[in-house]
Amino acid sequence: MTPKTVKYVDWALWLSLLVLSTLVMRVARPNIGEAHAAFVYILIVLGATAGGERWLGILVAVLGFLAINYFFQPPFDSLTVDQPLDYLALVSFLSTALVANHLLARARAEAETARKHAEEIEALSAEVRHAEALREASRLKDILLASVSHDLRTPLTAIRALAQDIAADGSRARGHAEIIVGQADRLGKMVADVLDLSRLKGGAFTMNAEVNTAEDLLGATIRQFSGVPEAKRIETVIDYSQPALLGTFDFVQSLRVMTNLVDNALRCSRDAPVTITVAQSNGALSFQVADRGPGIPVSERERIFESFYRPNGPAADAGAAGLGLSIARQLAEAQGGSVRYADRVGGGSLFTFEIPSAKLDSLT
Amino acid sequence: MTGVAAEHYRLLVIEDEVDIRRAVSAALRDQHPAIIEASTGTAGIDAVDTSHPDLIILDLGLPDIDGLAVCTSIRAATAAPIIVLTARHGESDTVALLNAGADDYITKPFSTQELAARVSVQLRRSRTPRSHYGVIMADGLSIDLHRRQASRDSGLIRLTPIEWDLLAVLVSDPGRVFTHQQLFAAVWKRSFGDARLYLRVHITNLRRKIERNPADPRLIITEPGVGYRFILTP
Repeated sequence: MTPKTVKYVDWALWLSLLVLSTLVMRVARPNIGEAHAAFVYILIVLGATAGGERWLGILVAVLGFLAINYFFQPPFDSLTVDQPLDYLALVSFLSTALVANHLLARARAEAETARKHAEEIEALSAEVRHAEALREASRLKDILLASVSHDLRTPLTAIRALAQDIAADGSRARGHAEIIVGQADRLGKMVADVLDLSRLKGGAFTMNAEVNTAEDLLGATIRQFSGVPEAKRIETVIDYSQPALLGTFDFVQSLRVMTNLVDNALRCSRDAPVTITVAQSNGALSFQVADRGPGIPVSERERIFESFYRPNGPAADAGAAGLGLSIARQLAEAQGGSVRYADRVGGGSLFTFEIPSAKLDSLT
Repeated sequence: MTGVAAEHYRLLVIEDEVDIRRAVSAALRDQHPAIIEASTGTAGIDAVDTSHPDLIILDLGLPDIDGLAVCTSIRAATAAPIIVLTARHGESDTVALLNAGADDYITKPFSTQELAARVSVQLRRSRTPRSHYGVIMADGLSIDLHRRQASRDSGLIRLTPIEWDLLAVLVSDPGRVFTHQQLFAAVWKRSFGDARLYLRVHITNLRRKIERNPADPRLIITEPGVGYRFILTP
C-alpha cells in the first residue's frame, strides 16, 4: 500500500469507529451518562492521533464534541444545552482532546525527526567508511606500484642487459644465460604473487576445499624443493604409528601456503635444518615450520604478514618481494585456517599453518 | 632418446603464440628434428590427420576452438601421447583434458629441460607394451603383477585389496598422470560416490608401505589438484 492509501484507510477506520461507538452508545443511552461517552470519544481521539495524524485527531475531537452535545446531553437529540455546567463539561472535553492530540502529534513529529537524523548519520558514516576504504586502497596501490616497479624492473634490467651483451658478443652466452634464467624465474614468481594478491584482495579466489591427508600435502611441499640444494636441510616429524591425519582444505592453495613458509624458513636460516611438524588437536590440523634463523623482533611480528613488508635495516635477501607471508596468511584465512608466528624455543622462528581437520568414519 | 631411433619420431606443436612455438621447437629440435607447428586448433586437428605425429604438444588456450574439443578430436584420431601446456597449477580445464585422454601436462613458464624430459617419457611410454602380468622394479621395490605381490629387500609387503588395485592401476602405465576421477573409476568401478574421499587416504597408506620415506614420496607422485602418477626411475 502507498502512504496515501494508508492515510485514507486510517481516516475511514477512525471515523467509522466514531460512528459505530456513537450508534452503540445511542442504543445504550438509558444506562450511560455523558461522562462515559466523553471517555470513549477521548480514547478514539487519542487512537486517531497516535495511529493516523493530527488533523484526523482534531476532526474526531470536534465530531465527538458535537455528538456529546447532540446525543448525550439533555435535552437529547438537540444542539442546545440545559444547564450552564454542561457547557463546562463540553469545553473541558474539547480542550482535553485537543491538548492530548497536540502532545501526541508533537511526540510523533519528534520521533520522526530523530529517525531522519539517525538515517542521515548512518548515511554519513557509511560515506566516511567508504572514503576510508578508498584511502586504504589508494595507499596499498601506491605501495604496490612503488614495490612492483622496483621489484619487476630489477630482473628486467638484468635480463635485458645480459641478452643485449649476448647479441653483441656470443662468447659469454652460457654464463649470461644462466643468470637470465634465474632472473626470469624471479620475475615469474613475482608476477604470480602480485596476480594472486590482487585476486585475493578482489575476492575473486575460489577455494576447492576437500578432504585431504596431511602427508600428501607434506610430500607435495617437499617435492616443490626437489633439485634445490637447500632441500637437504628439510626435516619432517610425523607419527606413522597413528592413522593418516586428515584435513579439509584446498590442496593447491595450501601447497602454496606451505611452499611460501618453507621457502621463507630456508632463506632465513643459513645452514641449520628446517623442521616441519604435523599434528592434530582441538579440531585443527597444524603444520609447524621451524627454523633457526634470527627470529622476528616483537615490534615486527604482525607487520611481517603485510603485503610488501620489508624488514628494518639491511635487506636479508634481495630476492624477497615481501609477498610470501602475506599471501600465505590470506590463502589460509580464505579457507578457514590461519598462519601464526611464534618464537622458537632455543632461537629462531616457528610458523604455524592451521586448517580445519577432517574425519572419515571407516575405510571402504 | 639418442641416435637413429629418435629421428623417427614426429612431433606436433599446437600453440598460437609464435614465440612460445619457437621456444618449444628449439628445446626439442636437437632430439627430434621432425617438428610440425600449428597455430590454431583446426590446423592442429588437420595436421594430426595428414602427418600422423607420434606425440602432440597442445596449448590449453587456443583462439579458435576450445582445448577440450581439440583434445577429444585428436584422441579420436590417434593414440599418440598428448602433453598439455597450461597456465596454472590444478586448473579445472587441465583436469578435464586429462580426463578426456591427454597423457601429461606442464605448467607455464616451464623449463625446457623439463619439457624435453616429459616428451621422452611419453614417447617411451607409447612404445612400451603395457603389461599387466610382468614384474616391475622401481627404487628397490619389486611389484609382481601376476602374483599380486609387492616386496622390498626380499621382504613381502602386505597390501589391502584396494591398495593393491590402486598400485596396479598406477604401475600399469608408469609416467602417465591419472586424475582422481580416473583412479576412482578404475578401482571402485564407478565415477562418483562418497568413497572418492577415501582415495587420498588409501594413497597415503599405500605410500607408508612402499615408499622409503613416505613424507618425501619418490614412486607415487602427487600432481597438485589433478591426481597421481607412478614413476619407475625416481
